Amino acid sequence: MATPLPEDFKGPIIRLEGVRKIYGDGDDQVQALRGISLDLTAGDYAAIMGPSGSGKSTLMHILGCLDVPTDGEYHLAGTPVSRMSSRQLARIRNRRVGFVFQTFNLLPRCSILRNVELPMLYGGAGRAERRRRALEALGKVGLAERARALPSQLSGGQRQRVAIARALVNTPSIILADEPTGNLDTKTGQDILALFGDLHRQGHTVILVTHDPNVAARANRVVRIVDGLVASAADGDGGGAGH
Amino acid sequence: MKLRESIVDGLVDVRTHKMRTFLQTLGVILGVASLVAVQGLVDSGRRQATKFFSEFGGLTKILVVNKPVKETVVTARQMASDGLTWSDALAIKQEVPFATQVDPIAQAELPIRYGDYERTNDVTGATPDYTSVYKFYPARGRFLIPDDIESHSRVCVLGDTAARFYFGNEDPLGKILTISDVGFKVVGVMKRKEFYFGKGDHNALEWMNRQTFVPLSAMITRFSGDPRRRVQYINVMVDKVENNPKAAMAIKSILLRRHAGVPDFEVINRAERLRQRAEQNQAFDIVFLVSGIISLIVGGIVIMNIMLASFQERIREVGIRKALGALGTDIAAQFLVESILVTSIGGTLGLALGVGFAQAISALIGQPAIITMKMALVGVIASVTVGLFFGLYPAIKASRLNPVEALRYE
Repeated sequence: MATPLPEDFKGPIIRLEGVRKIYGDGDDQVQALRGISLDLTAGDYAAIMGPSGSGKSTLMHILGCLDVPTDGEYHLAGTPVSRMSSRQLARIRNRRVGFVFQTFNLLPRCSILRNVELPMLYGGAGRAERRRRALEALGKVGLAERARALPSQLSGGQRQRVAIARALVNTPSIILADEPTGNLDTKTGQDILALFGDLHRQGHTVILVTHDPNVAARANRVVRIVDGLVASAADGDGGGAGH
Repeated sequence: MKLRESIVDGLVDVRTHKMRTFLQTLGVILGVASLVAVQGLVDSGRRQATKFFSEFGGLTKILVVNKPVKETVVTARQMASDGLTWSDALAIKQEVPFATQVDPIAQAELPIRYGDYERTNDVTGATPDYTSVYKFYPARGRFLIPDDIESHSRVCVLGDTAARFYFGNEDPLGKILTISDVGFKVVGVMKRKEFYFGKGDHNALEWMNRQTFVPLSAMITRFSGDPRRRVQYINVMVDKVENNPKAAMAIKSILLRRHAGVPDFEVINRAERLRQRAEQNQAFDIVFLVSGIISLIVGGIVIMNIMLASFQERIREVGIRKALGALGTDIAAQFLVESILVTSIGGTLGLALGVGFAQAISALIGQPAIITMKMALVGVIASVTVGLFFGLYPAIKASRLNPVEALRYE
């Protein structure tokens, strides 16, 4: 299902060593991350928790290669990411990471199908293959028949499903979700979380940023971030893999 | 991302912002329209000038005329030169390999009488080559033949207007016309020559219809009695226009040699003349060109401004695309494709409008309107260039957006 890791790779899929992120300079300096060390294993379902301003979003941006650490090392499947070129980072975002955002972040003027095809446009898949894989991904989230609709014609839950289909379409090794249920009602949120549970069971590494303990309870790892530091990184008490 | 997909995304954007796109394209529409119209009018004017010239020799004709030497004290050396003579013409025919026809002409205004009617008019001493140089052929009877030249025959051929002057509705053929008290038998009447510029009713070639032609030999012996056989001018037809400069050089050196080194003649290269004329008209063309370019630049600035104004609403889109793996170059390409798309739409509309302009102006001045590939090419190149140039700044700006900040942008 997920993109296979290198043959000789045995270690954690994500390894952070003393990662720091500083914004601005001089007196305006803000230390968003103050030395985070963290290992996540392939197949983990991890929840990153913390209050607003704790740095959890910054951490997620770094994990998704949208941003690079000011200091420290980030190894993704054994590969050091910290000093990669922006071109290499774009390729990792395209192939290895699937993003799901709180605000869905679909392109409003493009059809659902086009939105799901987008990662493949930048990955260089042929037209027929794109169409096939996008419809397949939409099928998995139960929206294949809405392929021609515009995002504005869908409900919030449906939009988030489209975003999940888009995140899955290039079969990345990691799914990164930033408050994926934050804009949804409880019932719809439950459905979306169930979908993440399914993905986890299918072997995806799922990392979910949330401040909601009920959401975090479903993960098998919970990482608490406070003031840019890891406060605790315990196994979760919720329904993890195989439970 | 492939170009094709950038165009697909660009079209979506254009379709959802029809009004914005229309405003963006306005400047380009007007700019391309004026460029295309100017190009069309210039082409049409050039074509008409060429056609006019071809009525009396075309571009391969070199005209040699007498030129008075400007010095006040005439030197002995200048006295030694006779000016252009029939022998010069023969020498040119013999020595210039590119010369296909050499047509010396002597002209004078002489009293011409038929019956009681007398009037002074142009009499042209010509050779049989005259007809093919001027594409001027007899309607009835014949033109001069070599035998007329050899025997100094007292025959004449009338232009259409001249024939009507003297004979009205009478048949001139076989009648005797008295030129300076010498009787000449009319052996032919020429077809009318006509050429109208635009809608004007002035026949630019009427001077040809007024002529009376006599054999060059007869002209010289009967009227001037000039033993040096001087002529007014010599038409030299060159085999092809590329050889014009070489032929002109050769003619000059032959004549200098024969005229004791006195430059009392002028060699006028028709192709050269046309080029000079075009150069004189250039100032006029440039004014239109510049105004077209200015409106294109203004159009480009409008496009850039609107792109920058709508930039804010697209920052998030850029963030999303980058999060999904778009490279900076993908983003730049997409913005460029969009601006070129917009200008191409403007260019197409401008092309149509420009063709309309050209036709309207042509109709107004009565010039035949022509639509050429060149006009279309001018429109396409201009609009793509504007799109590329003015799309560059927004494109680069978008490509450099930081994905995290772009995603956060509300």
